[in-house]
Amino acid sequence: MSEETPRPIPALGETPVAEVRTKRSFSVVWVIPLVALLIGGWLAYKAFSEKGPTITITFENAEGLEAGKTKIKYKDVDIGKVTKIALSKDLSNVELTAEMHKEAETYLTDQTRFWVVRARVAAGEVSGLGTLFSGVYIGIDPREEGKPQRRFKGLEVPPVLTADLPGRHFTLLAKDLGSLDVGSPVYYRKVKVGKVVSYALDVERDNLKIQVFIQAPFHKKVTRETRFFNASGVDVALNASGLHVNTESLVSVMLGGIAFETPVGLKASKQAPENFAFRLYPDRESTKEKEYSTKRYFLLYFEDDVWGLASGAPVSFKGIKVGQVVDFSLQFDWKKKRFQIPVLVEIEPERIEQIHGKLPEGKSMVDELVARGMRAQLKTGNLLTGQKFIDLAFHRKAPPEKVRYDEAYPVVPTIPQPLQQLVASVQNIIDRLEKIPTDEIGRDVKTVLESANNNLRKTEAMFGQINENTLPELTRTLEKVRTSLGEIEKGYGADSGTNRDLRKALDELSEAARSIRVLTEYLQRHPESLIRGKDDKE
Amino acid sequence: MVSAKQLGLVSCYDCHLLSRWRPPSGGQKSFCPRCDAELHLRKPNSISRTWALMLAASILYIPANLLPMTITSSLGQTQSDTIMSGVIYFLSHGAPGIGLVIFVASIFLPLLKLIILAYLLISVQRKSSWRPRDRTQLYRITEAVGRWSMLDVFVVTILVALVKLGIFANIDAGPAAVYFASVVVITLIAAESFDPRLIWDALERNHE
Repeated sequence: MSEETPRPIPALGETPVAEVRTKRSFSVVWVIPLVALLIGGWLAYKAFSEKGPTITITFENAEGLEAGKTKIKYKDVDIGKVTKIALSKDLSNVELTAEMHKEAETYLTDQTRFWVVRARVAAGEVSGLGTLFSGVYIGIDPREEGKPQRRFKGLEVPPVLTADLPGRHFTLLAKDLGSLDVGSPVYYRKVKVGKVVSYALDVERDNLKIQVFIQAPFHKKVTRETRFFNASGVDVALNASGLHVNTESLVSVMLGGIAFETPVGLKASKQAPENFAFRLYPDRESTKEKEYSTKRYFLLYFEDDVWGLASGAPVSFKGIKVGQVVDFSLQFDWKKKRFQIPVLVEIEPERIEQIHGKLPEGKSMVDELVARGMRAQLKTGNLLTGQKFIDLAFHRKAPPEKVRYDEAYPVVPTIPQPLQQLVASVQNIIDRLEKIPTDEIGRDVKTVLESANNNLRKTEAMFGQINENTLPELTRTLEKVRTSLGEIEKGYGADSGTNRDLRKALDELSEAARSIRVLTEYLQRHPESLIRGKDDKE
Repeated sequence: MVSAKQLGLVSCYDCHLLSRWRPPSGGQKSFCPRCDAELHLRKPNSISRTWALMLAASILYIPANLLPMTITSSLGQTQSDTIMSGVIYFLSHGAPGIGLVIFVASIFLPLLKLIILAYLLISVQRKSSWRPRDRTQLYRITEAVGRWSMLDVFVVTILVALVKLGIFANIDAGPAAVYFASVVVITLIAAESFDPRLIWDALERNHE
């Protein structure tokens, strides 16, 4: 950068002269904005690449939720944040806008569920205590399968099961919920194997659908024949061997629970598929009855005394229960001027297994059976308690009748109740009478008569002629014989004292039976009196 | 009015001794005969240097405001606040004074500085002669006010140091604190590297 004019070097001749000018140097200062730009760019890239999807979740209310604070957590790891809470247009619920982390994107499908985690006490479990201090957060049950979705409807009640816990769901149909709740345990052989997931009242069918989840591998124990029953009760049975109390675990007694059993049956059982519907039996005892889906209703008219008949009383055919009494009432027929008792029964035709062929089309089994003489009859099932049942049996001597179809239900003809109790007592008397040695007595009498006859003949033969002295003797002897015969008759005849005593004994017996019946009824109504004694007020 | 530059005089930045200017040659530099400080007629590369710093500060100003300044965790609940959310918090929770101070010191002043610097740079480059006195006044404001922006950084450092109560309350500085401090420092340097005499130089040329 010398100012001097370059001197020509002779050896090299004319050489080009280097240009002299200020070098446009790159100022180091510009590194600073460059670095800033790099940092800024990196931050922007990071923010952009980490920015996950924005989703909307609707809830019924936003209790405890705060925009910018409430997190969305899975397994207690933040995967998103609520950024905005707004009311829906119709004010019916709240809409949360949440920004999710990038990695959560693949788990936001139409099967993903959201709920608010709050402190809860339910089904014997306390959960979400931490939220008392830290505030509520939103729980998520991420699911990869399903269609991607960005709008969700939040659950008001947290799901009992999340993620892909192996096992199977089943539906139980119940009349009422009892003491069950979401989270109530399900037991198999008194081992907790599942939980009640949800329940919903089916308003249309007026029954309750309880969804249960059975964990793997216990779900294999659930077959199509499996019986689920309410395990929250205490079964107390009193019999000859003592008092038996049967319960599931104490927790289930306090908080409710469901148990299931797979009975050993004639049919081979297959594993029940997902969401298979079962009936929930009220207790273990009732599971022992087979469940039949087809039910036929018939009306029976009785004129007998139906004391001891109750709805649920069995209807038996050849000694096997084929149905039960549903309802009965008392009617007065003004036309016939008499009382009658219509009894509605349900018959489960599936109980009758048909082999070697089927009922021909268009024919009714009932018509056929009634034509062959089948009649319904009230019978006393238990002499002690007087409980009655309806017996279907063939009575060949019965006048021919047909099933009437002119009422709401087909009317099956009935025959009057056999006076079973009376028959039994008469039978008893006959038995006892049979035991009396009438033959022997007869024989004795015969012998006496014969010997008398012999004597007579002997006397005739010996004396030839009737003696004045012997004749009255003879007459007296004969009279004595007659008297003794009369006494025999008096002693054992139809109107005799022995007979009266017998009847009296029988009366006493039936009196005793009646009082036992009263006692059992009282016990049925007041089982506690076994322990506490009879209430004096009653 | 005659400037020192026209008369071939130079003032020392440090001891303000007025000496005769000899332009340095080669790799040499001029120094103050009294205090040995380096002498320039005008700050070297003033405009480009100021531009660079101003731009760097502007870029950093974005993350400083978007990222969280403090991360407060109390009983398991973690909350991160940006400068603006803090201001809004104070304004809406009955402390508008504090909110206003934070707003002015942390948002308004840095932005004001960046805008003033940008305006001064543009006006000098365009050799504008419009109201030089006011523009110099603007520069003075920039210089005087710049350091107050550090207020927010100091508050955060004190809070972080004081509030360490474990699970009950804990405050951590967010990433924005670093960016914000950088913005303040870089704008300070930028204001320093700008030579206000350039404003008046343009005026002289217009007179000629």
